[in-house]
Amino acid sequence: MQVKFKFVAYDESFDKFEQDDNEYLLELDDEQIETYNLYKDVDLHLYNWFQESEFFLDWIKEEVYPDSIGKKIAIAEINDIIYLRFFFFKVTSGDVHYEYFKKLFNLYHESDWQDREEFGEDILELLKPKRQELIIEIKEDVVEDDESELNKNTLEVSE
Amino acid sequence: MDHKYINNMLAEMDKDLASKGLSRRDAMKLAGISGASLLMGGATSAEASTEEVVASSDAKGKIVIVGGGLAGISTAARLTLNLKNHDITIIEPEAKSVSYQPGQTLVAAGIWDADDISYNRDDFVPDGVKVIEDKVIDFQPNKNEVTTAKGQVVSYDYLIVATGLQLDFERIKGLEYAGRAYSSGDNTKLLNALGESGICSLYTAEGATKTWELMQKSIEQAKSGKKTKFVFTHPSTPIKCGGAPKKIIYLANSRLKDAGARENAEIVFYPNGGAMFGVPEYHDAILGQFKRENFKWHYRHNLIEVEPENKIAVFDAKWQEKGEWDPVLKEFEVIAKHEKKRVPYDFLHITPPQLAPREVRESDLGSAKGWVPVNKETLQHVKYDNIYAIGDIAQVPMGKTGGSVRKQYKVLVDNLIAQMEGKPLPSKYAGYTVCPLITSIGTVMLAEFDWTVKPTPSFPLDPTVERWVFWLMKVYALKPMTMYGMLSGRA
Repeated sequence: MQVKFKFVAYDESFDKFEQDDNEYLLELDDEQIETYNLYKDVDLHLYNWFQESEFFLDWIKEEVYPDSIGKKIAIAEINDIIYLRFFFFKVTSGDVHYEYFKKLFNLYHESDWQDREEFGEDILELLKPKRQELIIEIKEDVVEDDESELNKNTLEVSE
Repeated sequence: MDHKYINNMLAEMDKDLASKGLSRRDAMKLAGISGASLLMGGATSAEASTEEVVASSDAKGKIVIVGGGLAGISTAARLTLNLKNHDITIIEPEAKSVSYQPGQTLVAAGIWDADDISYNRDDFVPDGVKVIEDKVIDFQPNKNEVTTAKGQVVSYDYLIVATGLQLDFERIKGLEYAGRAYSSGDNTKLLNALGESGICSLYTAEGATKTWELMQKSIEQAKSGKKTKFVFTHPSTPIKCGGAPKKIIYLANSRLKDAGARENAEIVFYPNGGAMFGVPEYHDAILGQFKRENFKWHYRHNLIEVEPENKIAVFDAKWQEKGEWDPVLKEFEVIAKHEKKRVPYDFLHITPPQLAPREVRESDLGSAKGWVPVNKETLQHVKYDNIYAIGDIAQVPMGKTGGSVRKQYKVLVDNLIAQMEGKPLPSKYAGYTVCPLITSIGTVMLAEFDWTVKPTPSFPLDPTVERWVFWLMKVYALKPMTMYGMLSGRA
């Protein structure tokens, strides 16, 4: 099974996201397909699973953004599940996004009319830390670093 | 339980029933509910009867309750029933802090008198509970202390915040001199500011009396043949008893019809919101009633100013327009627009904006919006484990009614005692609230719901139907259940 991904790049200096219009395909093995099917109905669970999976991070480093250590990205789309609202929500965004974030952040206003300015600002405030959680930093392989450090120490001892 | 009061109440109810050719038994059959639940105000029939509680906990600790209204005193009473050795202090400045606020709509329509809803705090303070007649002006949760206006520093092991909320009339331009008021206590300043220019508000006990006086004058005007405009508002803030702004419309309509003056009256509702009720089933029912009774309504209008000398109410009217195409989210942006709208009135009923008292809002206890942020299920403060909040001041969705407090105070007491005993918090508030929505003199639609935003009826009846038997319950049974059941910590 192939899963289609789209990404956004995070510009830390401007705290902004930029779309990468390319699509990237990742082939899942049987075990991964099983997990994918388990998480696919809850968008953030699916996101977190990929974000924390070694095979996914390796794939990004090796095939999606090779030679880009230090680059920060976020997933914009996994098949038909779209995460763009997390990165591009505005006070003027449509009701569907308001409803989504109200539910996600457990926001409740007693007033039944959506006060967009107040509500929108609340959502943006809550989105700041949430976005940081979603950002994936492309890092060097930590295990390799440890091993090389270990080897270095061993060499030093040998000397 | 005051049996004399109950007997008087039953006699009154029997008279009312007899006028319709029914016995009490017939009425109960009609309602499909048990005698006990109708007698006790069976908003939740399964729990309608009073409980016999035997003090069972040896837990110790100094408990301070800030606020001696319905929530504060009911909580104190239930704690005394459960703790063998209790050390409870209530801090409350008002001698008349205990009032039956759900009755204010009935006072405003001339069905009850102000005396029917106002009580002395000290008549309800449980035995052994100390009262400090003062106002807390500073909370120091890191030191487990509060400071009163007279400078007394009161320490606590556990704090319960039950201050209630304030009515923010001064936010409305033209009523700045009204200041901020509480529902109970002396509200002369507010009444003076509202003056004699057709403006009223039932949100204080004195204001409810004034509303009835003004309503009678306006009905007389309509009866004389002069076209008379009745305007009703609902603000942009959370409010206590979300049904009250509509109940007073229905009651005014009923009084106008009784006086044969309805055809000369225009009844218009200006809510800030975009619906009649948060629960779709009740929204639909209310909308049907509005159409049936020929009321007019204009959503998304927030009262921001009054010109008493010209009898003009000024609203901030809001709407939305389609903005530019957003190529990323693939949708048109939504642009919020608003403009001032001037509305003439003869009778203006204001449901004021409401907010947390300053001393709570500006303390470390309050949230950005002023209310005390608590876990909505356990009622424990999100930051300070030894602090709880209950009633209007608690940041709990849809929780600002006496019906909510009736559920909350039991949860709070269970959890506080468990915490004092070093156990996990066992009880959860599920968001139940009840709004007996008076739709005429003689009918009530019993709107019960919780956080699922679905009707949660306690009775085997269609909850969206207006019923006379619920009117009987509202007028005769709910008050004794509150005053003698809840305030003794048993119902």
